Amino acid sequence: MTVSAAPAEAILEESRGRRRRRMRGTSEARAYGLGAITAVYLLWALVPVAITVLFSFNEGRSRSTWQGFSLRWYTWDPTGSVLNDESIRNALSYTVLLAVLATIITVPIGVLFALALDRWRGRLPQGANFLALITFVIPEIALAIGLLFMVTYLATPFGLGTWAQVVGLVTFQLSYPIVICRARLLTIGSHYEEAARDLGASALGAVRRIILPMLFPAILVSAILVFADVLDDFVIVRYLSSDASTETTSMRIYQTARAAPTPALNAMATIILVVSALVIVLGWLAYRRWTRKQGESTDVSSLASTL
Amino acid sequence: MPSPPRRPVSRRRLLQASALALPGAWALAACAREQPLSGPTGGGSSAGGSASGGATSAPAELQIASPTNPVKWPINPGNEPIASGLEPEANATLRLYNYPDYLDKAVIKDFQKEYADYNVKVEYSTFNDYPEALTKIRSGSIPYDVTFMSYNYMARLVYGDLIRPLNHEYIPNIADVWEEFQNPWYDQEWQYTVPYVIYTTGIGWRADLIPEDIGARPNPYDVFWDSKYAGEIAVLDDDREVIGMTILRDGGTDVNTADPATLGAARDAMLEMLSLSQPRVTISGYTDIPEGVLSLSQCWSGDMITGQSYMPEGVDPSVLRYWSPPDGRGLVNSDFLCVLKGGENPVLAHHFLNYMLDSDVSLKNFSWVGYQPPLRSLTPDSMVADGYIPENLAGAVVKPEWFEVGYPVLELPPEVEAEYQAIWQQFKAGA
Amino acid sequence: MVWIALFFLIPLYVVFCVAFGTVDPIFRSPVPIWNPLEWQFTQVEVVWDRLFGPDNFYLPAVLRTLLYVAIAVVACLIIAFPVAYFTARYAGNYRGLVLALLVAPFFISYMMRMLAWINLLQPDGLVNTIITLGGVVPLDINWLSGNPYVVVMGLIYGYVPYMLLPLFAALDRISPSLIEAARDLGASGFDLFRRVILPMSLPGIVAGTLLISLPMMGDYFTSDLLSKSPNTAMIGNLINLSIVAPGQAGQAGTLLILVLLVLLIPMVLYTRSNARAEVRS
Repeated sequence: MTVSAAPAEAILEESRGRRRRRMRGTSEARAYGLGAITAVYLLWALVPVAITVLFSFNEGRSRSTWQGFSLRWYTWDPTGSVLNDESIRNALSYTVLLAVLATIITVPIGVLFALALDRWRGRLPQGANFLALITFVIPEIALAIGLLFMVTYLATPFGLGTWAQVVGLVTFQLSYPIVICRARLLTIGSHYEEAARDLGASALGAVRRIILPMLFPAILVSAILVFADVLDDFVIVRYLSSDASTETTSMRIYQTARAAPTPALNAMATIILVVSALVIVLGWLAYRRWTRKQGESTDVSSLASTL
Repeated sequence: MPSPPRRPVSRRRLLQASALALPGAWALAACAREQPLSGPTGGGSSAGGSASGGATSAPAELQIASPTNPVKWPINPGNEPIASGLEPEANATLRLYNYPDYLDKAVIKDFQKEYADYNVKVEYSTFNDYPEALTKIRSGSIPYDVTFMSYNYMARLVYGDLIRPLNHEYIPNIADVWEEFQNPWYDQEWQYTVPYVIYTTGIGWRADLIPEDIGARPNPYDVFWDSKYAGEIAVLDDDREVIGMTILRDGGTDVNTADPATLGAARDAMLEMLSLSQPRVTISGYTDIPEGVLSLSQCWSGDMITGQSYMPEGVDPSVLRYWSPPDGRGLVNSDFLCVLKGGENPVLAHHFLNYMLDSDVSLKNFSWVGYQPPLRSLTPDSMVADGYIPENLAGAVVKPEWFEVGYPVLELPPEVEAEYQAIWQQFKAGA
Repeated sequence: MVWIALFFLIPLYVVFCVAFGTVDPIFRSPVPIWNPLEWQFTQVEVVWDRLFGPDNFYLPAVLRTLLYVAIAVVACLIIAFPVAYFTARYAGNYRGLVLALLVAPFFISYMMRMLAWINLLQPDGLVNTIITLGGVVPLDINWLSGNPYVVVMGLIYGYVPYMLLPLFAALDRISPSLIEAARDLGASGFDLFRRVILPMSLPGIVAGTLLISLPMMGDYFTSDLLSKSPNTAMIGNLINLSIVAPGQAGQAGTLLILVLLVLLIPMVLYTRSNARAEVRS
């Protein structure tokens, strides 16, 4: 299926110089063409969002006609602004709360899961791995409805609301830390741990002092991913929410986007955007610091390819 | 019905529905904890006979209240009204459950201020339609205190033991309510409910986008089958309203019919509507029409009144129009407030009901939501004169006499309800 | 592991119990049957009837969903491929920046991105302002009331980032010397694409396609937000509608099971290829 590289390379050497010049010309043209496509794509992907952010600063209540810059929808509008509309404030703080809770629970479980999968061989862990991957690709609505039915028809220790939402989110997000940490564990290999054991570390100590620190970048990345993804989650939180106190920003956008939105909705969305951007940037800086210290590569693509 | 069914949709499914009722013993055992022990009595019928049966025999037929069959609902044992003279719960969160934008937020704030001594917090949760609301209330996982409902859910609320009878001593403001709503047919002696607002269902539009007087058509409902307006119009996201409107359009008057032929014809007409005018299905006409996303929509009478405040700058609110049958022979209904049994603050909930019936509060709420409360202090004739309703929307005023001639949307027996749901689902699946 | 068993397998089992259960005669709420031996299949029959029987009104929605998803996936591929290829091969010094920008939509809430388009596509929104040149051209296009193109556009817009990343990862793995080698052997641009790049990026294409088409199958909010017309209803909308309607939760469960059964094959494919990739690395 792939062109075999070795003989090709051998034959090439002589003809290279001859062709290189011509090639550079077409290749540059191609680069510009592709670059233009990429630029257009990025504009298309990001400008609408930028406009949404822009209109959160609109003076009037229109979301399409610019009426002057103002912080009205953030602060001073007496009923509609983010600051003065309690339901918007609640949605914001609740969204962050959910994200924190889900991240705190998901990441340790996921890491343990990955460690367990890395150690044990056999049918059971294989099946578990399969399940974990399935939760990665299953339509979210399936999990959400399943949990909704379970909470409604089975006697569960928790009802609809925060805990149901957290359980759903954790289940859905668990695959991130598992996949990412497993990949990392595979590259680490087993010899570090063996060396530590040889030097007299206990099994637990070896994991704690050697493996976990080496795993830290992967843990960090998965935590960021989980956090950012939970901030945006809609399907699970909506089906498992109970009342207005468990309403997140995404639910709020869904409910009001077509009803009677004011730029305050844009303002709320902007704030969530800023929160997730902050977390990502902070996480990224921490990741870089850590990997620098450990003398490892900090290529963005290594992050991307783990996705 | 004179004509044979064009496509008998429902026979088989009716059979299926009744077949489902057969393993009733098992099903009932499973949900026994949710069934009250007695069926409703009153209206002269003897449904209470099954009271002794409980979990072993099939429950009595759902008692269906209607203007010709007023019902006094039973009070289930263990669900007596709260005692008189109790203090409202302190530091409580009063949970309201309602449509979005169906209650003025300023009124909620005022209520919190009024009860500041008790440090009351009000939480406003929303549903998209009544079936969803009933499902969630019944799941029992959220302790809502007060909900806003329509009488076509009354029997199920009582049967399911979901609502709490009222102690009238907490609600003196009932005195200002129209006489007929102090003893309504859907809840004789207002044991469980107080009225909230009254409304008709009709057609709202923007005169600058629809250059025609819809009301002048021989059959105004035909506008929804007019391909001229394809992509600009909407019907309500409510099965009963759309099916009811379709029946009226085809010359029927029984919007609660169980007749398979009528329902089959209505279904076919609705599918025809889908392909002719491609309506959207939404309850947000009150913002979509002012903003011009829609030009015309089936809507409730309050929608266009409240719609005035959603007009974009630069458009004159007087372009809004509303039509419903001027003789009152259309869908005329009312919603009520009730206290849910699962709520944690029954006393405060009573106070809230009473607060909402206060004429000043009610007026303030009315001027925001656009739906008219049935209060003596607010006579239909004075509403236009006093400026609550502008001249161009005079058709949105609900007249008391319309409750004599109009068609209320009643509760349906479960198997008929299933039929309506099936039609609705087919409609919503698109064509 | 216990967690997944508890909160993934049990919910799925409950879906089965509800789908194969009965309905409360008064409230028409579902009554699940826990014992698989007593499962009843009335709901399945109802759904089957609506799919393939004389009353097959589910079928148009199902076909519509497949069509929308197919168009959206192809469009996503067409958009994402050159972008990912550029980023992997030519971005040079800007690579980090471009990649960060590509990843950005991934972290912007889906709802917010839909909100952005709702704002743009309003009757007096920017799109109409631009098309009509500020009201000069008398065109009045109402994008948001049941326009299928808008719904598909929304799907593409919403899911493209999820296609980009796996594609990029796959393209990034192709060694530049390999491409150069092919060129030196006289491969034309098209040949190069067809015989080297395409086969080598196939895993990325497959992963991306699965990654976006699976969630699209359960998507209901895109159509809800951008259209709200029954004429653009997707399977997700049917499920979402049935879930709260009295007496139809079982049908929602059955639909869901059918969707899952159909999707099981691609899901297993995905996990398989994933596991193999792991072994290889």
